[in-house]
Amino acid sequence: MTKTRAIFIALILIVAIVIGASFIVRRSGTNPLAKVEPLSVRIICALPVEPFVREAAARFNAEGHKLEGRPIQVTVVPMDGLVAMGRWERQEMNPIPTVWIPDSRYLVELVNATYKGTLGRDIFLTGGEYRARPIATSLFAWGIWQSREEVLRQKYGDEITWRDIHDAVLAKGGWPDLGGKPEWGYFKLVVPNPRRNVGGLMAMVAAAGEYYGKTRLEVADVTNPEFQAWLKELMSAVTDFSSFGAYSVENLALFGYSMGDGGQLLESDLLANMAGIQTRWVEPMVIRYPTYITWFDFPYSIWMGDETTAEEKHAALVFEEYLLTPEIQQLAVAQGLRPANPEVPITGENSPFTRWQDQGVMIVVPRTTRMREPDREVLLALLRWFDLNIAGQ
Amino acid sequence: MAKRKARRKRTTGRSQRLLFWVLGLALVVCALCGGSIWLLLREEPAPANRTVTSSRREVVLRIAYTPEKREAFEALVADYNATKPRLPGGKRVRVEAVPLEADLLVEQALQNAFQAVSPDSSIWLEEIDRLWQKERAPEALLVGERTHYMVSPIVIAMWHDVAAQMGYPDRMVGWQDLLSAAVRNPDFTWSHPSPTTASGLLAILATFYAASGTTRGLTEEQATAPATLEYVRQLEATVKHYGEGELAVMQHIEEQGRAYLDAFVVPEQLVVQYNLRHPEKLLAIYPLEGTLWQDHPLALLEHPDRTDEERQAYALFKEYLLSEPVQRKILQFGYRPADVRISLESPESPIRPENGADPQQPHTTLQVPSAGVIEVVKNVWWYTKRPANVYLVVDTSGSMAGRKLSDAQAALHLFLEEVRGPEDRVGLISFADRPHERVPLVRVEEGRARLSQEVEALEAGGNTALLDSVLYALERLEALNDTGRINAIVVMTDGQENASAVSREALLKRLEEAYRSGLRVVVFCVAYGRTADMKTLEAISSAAGGFTSTSEPETIRALYKALSTYF
Repeated sequence: MTKTRAIFIALILIVAIVIGASFIVRRSGTNPLAKVEPLSVRIICALPVEPFVREAAARFNAEGHKLEGRPIQVTVVPMDGLVAMGRWERQEMNPIPTVWIPDSRYLVELVNATYKGTLGRDIFLTGGEYRARPIATSLFAWGIWQSREEVLRQKYGDEITWRDIHDAVLAKGGWPDLGGKPEWGYFKLVVPNPRRNVGGLMAMVAAAGEYYGKTRLEVADVTNPEFQAWLKELMSAVTDFSSFGAYSVENLALFGYSMGDGGQLLESDLLANMAGIQTRWVEPMVIRYPTYITWFDFPYSIWMGDETTAEEKHAALVFEEYLLTPEIQQLAVAQGLRPANPEVPITGENSPFTRWQDQGVMIVVPRTTRMREPDREVLLALLRWFDLNIAGQ
Repeated sequence: MAKRKARRKRTTGRSQRLLFWVLGLALVVCALCGGSIWLLLREEPAPANRTVTSSRREVVLRIAYTPEKREAFEALVADYNATKPRLPGGKRVRVEAVPLEADLLVEQALQNAFQAVSPDSSIWLEEIDRLWQKERAPEALLVGERTHYMVSPIVIAMWHDVAAQMGYPDRMVGWQDLLSAAVRNPDFTWSHPSPTTASGLLAILATFYAASGTTRGLTEEQATAPATLEYVRQLEATVKHYGEGELAVMQHIEEQGRAYLDAFVVPEQLVVQYNLRHPEKLLAIYPLEGTLWQDHPLALLEHPDRTDEERQAYALFKEYLLSEPVQRKILQFGYRPADVRISLESPESPIRPENGADPQQPHTTLQVPSAGVIEVVKNVWWYTKRPANVYLVVDTSGSMAGRKLSDAQAALHLFLEEVRGPEDRVGLISFADRPHERVPLVRVEEGRARLSQEVEALEAGGNTALLDSVLYALERLEALNDTGRINAIVVMTDGQENASAVSREALLKRLEEAYRSGLRVVVFCVAYGRTADMKTLEAISSAAGGFTSTSEPETIRALYKALSTYF
């Protein structure tokens, strides 16, 4: 064999090896040149904690956290807890997220109850390593424009109750009858649209609790015609459910006193917007705490179904631990949330709790009556009533 | 020596051939290796269920918006696209902005024509969900994530002396003052757009609230009560004419100044923009009883085939709109930015008293009724609105032959379809050498077929007796002396006057007198094509409180559709 032929055959062999290898690799589905696929943690997140979780996720992604050599990539999709619950129940959650952070633990329990019927087990765990754990907390408080609050205090005293608000709503001549200015018009209540923000539903629950003077509501309570007539008068003072949408305090800040004089709103939302409200409308808001308190605990709930892999579930756990670190919990405090990690104080130089103390913010909320979570039938009865009597009117 | 030379020559030749073979094979090997690597690493084809507009390399986010914010929205979208945004996965994002009137936007949103919408008011989002629930399930929501990026309160714009006559600034002025002025003073001219815009809807809601003697809790029963309808009818009778939208009103104010209207309903942003350009300022009146906001929501439509990439693209664009530099830019357009940390009292803010606006206003709003009540109000409004007598005066001279006439005929058909008031009357006059009344004024509901037939029968030929024809229509309206209605002439011509007996000066004098009389005949002119006599048409329309629009065969349909909203 001449030298030329030997080179020729060698080259042919090289070509054959390259082509053969590429086909074998393609058929086996592995790609030696491909980048390592990141582990994706997709979070459906309740609206009040979404800015906090999004900011934490951005830091987490930038820091390049890895699990068994694979980088973890966290994405956050904002969705109201009640809207998400509807999607879980109608099996419209597509794609299935790795984690769901609803507003309150009882929404997780309601979804679990639905899935228990079909799967025979909880789909979000309540015990063990993967149990749903709060990442922060917040509570409902009255947020009222200072000028209006002064007038209400003169008329009704230091404590604001749903009954006082009902009375103010019914004032025939509007604010002048209560001692306020004619240009303020009627008393305008701020309640988020319960179909878009679970806070709207919670406001109705709190009002019902106060109406009956009890913390545990039954279906008979919310379907009582006398109560419904009272609630209808109250809710008729909401100026615009469409513009308020899901972000009630943000929109209160944007539209000012023209759209709402005050309402029972999430403390964290109020604190996050206090500065902006004062900049835009010059007048500040005052925060007052009700007798019947509703808390949101924002549980970090990892989906236990087969749609996500074991690695993704584990990666979700890594991000949960990150969220609960003191440094990241400080981010929550800066946004008006009360930290889930007890080591983290809520007072401090840049804490909104300290900054707005003069406007009524309490560092420690005194032991008061805590509203108990209503069951599904009560919630559905209230929503149906809302659809028929307020939204559909 | 010769042998050695020959051997060297043979050896060189063999080496050259070998080198040739080696190089050739190396090239083949490279090509094959490259091809194999490409096969190995190339991306999988895009899934079949992707949207038509998006591709493997690009996600297109189609956003329909209402045209009153065209200038600002198009500028923001262009700036955004220029930043060449990308999703975290590397795909390019491109936003495509589609201007659409609110009713069309709602209709097409249901048909999955775009991924997101930005109408002038959240009222339309409620309408989308209401219709979606009708189509699907009672709890189904099509409108998903939504945000505000700019807002503007709706105000009554008026000239300073007009406001002073109502007692401003010593007392706050409201809807009642405007409506009383319109009833008391026949010379007072005001207008609001049709209810396909938020401003028009607000004005109508305000009159229904005033009629029911309240500012909240408007119900279907209240809206349809005979006393309410009668009250609204009386108030609407004072409207000079309606219009296709607030931008058109502002354009006419720009052209004619205070001669066009004494007061009109527009968003604060347009008052600020106008005042930045003109020495004679308008005043934004925030009505005492309350107003509404144009809240310009940006909302994602959650159709079942919405992809995560489209959601991410939406989130990216939203983030851009809410970024501080963009929010400051929005303020420069005269809107109130959604970022409340941006002060409206700062030196760079145009929302200030010098520009007719008060950043601390409005103090209160009217309650927005549910989507169902709004629908009822919009429907019954057609029965309370001021009815109209409209003469369509159409040039059929020889120069109109061919496509010009056929496009004009299509436009006239569309006009007849769009005039929906049950009491509105339309007549048809064609002209060439002289005017010819083809259909005398007839209620559109009864005479639509005949009017359409006559439009279809129009033929081109002859001269252009424009002035005589306008006078002819005017005399017909004067003979009726129907002061309860809007009296209007819509005249269209493509040429120069060359056959009339009446002089231009004499006609203008008659038109001015008719406009100032209780009858108040308004003339709208359409200059069709480049050869139309713009000077004469503008003189006619300005003498008679109207305006002149130019049009080509391609745009004549849209123009007549817009004109139909004035009645």
